Amino acid sequence: MVRALRNLPLSLRLPLLGAAMMVLVGAVASQQVLSALGRVQDTRLRELAALHVEGLSVALGPLVLRRDIWEVYDTLDRAARESAGRRMVLTAVADEAGHVLAATDPRRVPVDSMIDRIAHEAVPLAQLSAGTSESTVRLVAPLNFQGRTVGRIVTELDVSDLQQERWRALWLLLIANALATTILAGLGYVAMRQMLRPVSRLARQMSSAEGDPQPIDEADIPDGDGEIARLSRIYNSMVHDVAAKADVERRLAERERFVALGRLSSSLAHEINNPLGGLLNAADTIRTFSHRPEVIEASADLLERGLRHLRDVARATLDQNRLDHAGRSFSAEDCEDIHLLILPELKRMSQRIDWSAPKDLPPGLDLPAAPLRQIMLNLLLNASAAAGTDGVVQLDACPAHDGLEIAISNSGPPMSDAARERLLSDVALSPGGGVGLRLVRDLVKGLGGTIALARGPDMTTIRVSLPAGQRGKNA
Amino acid sequence: MTPGPSRRTALVLGASALAMIPVQGFGQSPFRLGLTPVFLDNDSAVISRLTAALSDAMERPIDLVQRRTYAEVTGLLLTGALDAAWLCGFPYLQHANALDLVAVPVWRGRPLYQSYLIVGDGVRAEGLEDLRGATHAFSDPDSNSGYLVTASNLVAMGARPETWFSRSIFTYGHRNVVRAVADGLVTSGSVDGYVWEALASVEPELTGCTRIIGRSEWLGFPPVCARTDNATSEPVAALQNALYTLSDSETGRAALAALQLDGFQTAPDGIFDGIAARMRLMDS
Repeated sequence: MVRALRNLPLSLRLPLLGAAMMVLVGAVASQQVLSALGRVQDTRLRELAALHVEGLSVALGPLVLRRDIWEVYDTLDRAARESAGRRMVLTAVADEAGHVLAATDPRRVPVDSMIDRIAHEAVPLAQLSAGTSESTVRLVAPLNFQGRTVGRIVTELDVSDLQQERWRALWLLLIANALATTILAGLGYVAMRQMLRPVSRLARQMSSAEGDPQPIDEADIPDGDGEIARLSRIYNSMVHDVAAKADVERRLAERERFVALGRLSSSLAHEINNPLGGLLNAADTIRTFSHRPEVIEASADLLERGLRHLRDVARATLDQNRLDHAGRSFSAEDCEDIHLLILPELKRMSQRIDWSAPKDLPPGLDLPAAPLRQIMLNLLLNASAAAGTDGVVQLDACPAHDGLEIAISNSGPPMSDAARERLLSDVALSPGGGVGLRLVRDLVKGLGGTIALARGPDMTTIRVSLPAGQRGKNA
Repeated sequence: MTPGPSRRTALVLGASALAMIPVQGFGQSPFRLGLTPVFLDNDSAVISRLTAALSDAMERPIDLVQRRTYAEVTGLLLTGALDAAWLCGFPYLQHANALDLVAVPVWRGRPLYQSYLIVGDGVRAEGLEDLRGATHAFSDPDSNSGYLVTASNLVAMGARPETWFSRSIFTYGHRNVVRAVADGLVTSGSVDGYVWEALASVEPELTGCTRIIGRSEWLGFPPVCARTDNATSEPVAALQNALYTLSDSETGRAALAALQLDGFQTAPDGIFDGIAARMRLMDS
């Protein structure tokens, strides 16, 4: 119930809360009104009953003393016939011993019967009240004459009209309260809707279907300097800042791709330049030993291998540069490409790499190639930089837990706090640092994966876990 | 031309004529007539019509005196506080040596009536014998129909009212007896048959709640009496004449119609023998 209420929009919840409070106030006020009505009715009833008893005492005193049954009856009968509204439906008079002398209904209360038969349910005057479940109440009062009690009077009073009056008042209050609550709650709802419309618009813009928060149109911002107007302007300013930040990050990420290639370019130049010397030598050898078929054959083989290597390096570089986000799925060949691209850099740094990648990947893995290549390349470059000269870099990629796990380790010192923040948190980038690790974090998040950092005795390991089938999310 | 009467002569003649006009009741003391509480004690219209009729007929003011009990009215008559009284046959016979009959009413052609024994319409009883232990309403201890008849019947059965009934009350009015029985205050009652019949025509809803289970023999109707020493006085004679001639005047017929009586007549000899016999039975 409470949860259901919490799920309701604020524009409905506030009027409902107001209506509930009005119902509460109405119930308390109604209770007070009914109590006051009951007190007034009881006071009137007691006054009437007191007058009745006093009048009867005066009239019946001498008759009761004389035990004049007929006169007692006649007096009661005439009093009953003349009583307005027939409030007193029954009156019985008994002598001191409790024997009934007469009653207005002698068949119900016969002469000489015991008054206690009807007096046991009767209450004294001070306790007389119409607020009972019965339509009649009974009163017992002493019959005093000349300063002494000569008998008892029991009177049955019809209070059904008073009870009906109470019920009528209760219903009127209920209907009036319900009507007032409904009308005011409706008005409150309309007013709240009106007042909360900018907030609703703000919430709608923040959770826009386009995915990014959308600014509020200037025309929809209320005039003046109210809270809502200020909130809307601040929100618009934040939306613009977020958009600007995202744009900057996108540019940085774009730049980072070229940075990574830039960092590789000299190594790749060596990778191309070194075989070129061998290839030129092979060409000279072919020219020199053109008459020796076996030498030509061997040189041609050497030429072909060198050219193939150059072709592979060029293709890998081109592939890396041609990042196509909606492109093909990651495959084992992509692993080989990364291996090929990173090797010259490792070689340049005199580093050793332990490469462990599967020859084939499960067909259901379906991870986009471009971001994953970027992730691996960035982490390997980072590991190579951290490992330093003669260091060791490890890559261990294997399908696991319905996804892919890639662990990249280096033998360098532990990762700095700044680097760790870039990799593991969303805090703003501090000026001066690279964006490679933050790009890794953003790409992994985009693929729905997680990053864990572990530090062993002499190795720092970054473990990236990616769930299968995340191409759509990264698109 | 004969000269007309002088102005002085005219004044003398006018004054003489004024002196000769009888002024009704003027200068006379009112005639005091006592009434026992028969059914008319509750009907002011009956009282006023009877007053008007008698006043017209007797040419004097009438003071109708009512008291609660027969004994009070009888006492007033015997002490001279009343000129005459409409009594019952029972108190008349109790004081027969001091009272004379002035007239007796004629009801349904005869100067006779009955006493009724009545019960509530839901009571299972067919006679006095079935009412042992019941509550009973009498009219007045000096009423023939409202007490003597039932009491003497019980004596004839070898019983007494005080022991036969669990409780007996006096209501001092025949109409009250009917009310007490009809309302269920008591089981049974002794009532004047004439009163019951008169009520049956004017208040049928009242008598409709009662049932007659016993009727006495025909007895002398309650008579109008005067003290013996006053019986021949002019006012009493005027009353007697007025009663005998009530049906001759408009107001008299209206009074008789209200009383549901035919008229008044001289009491026949032996009319109260039946009541006397019951009195003897009570004294035996």
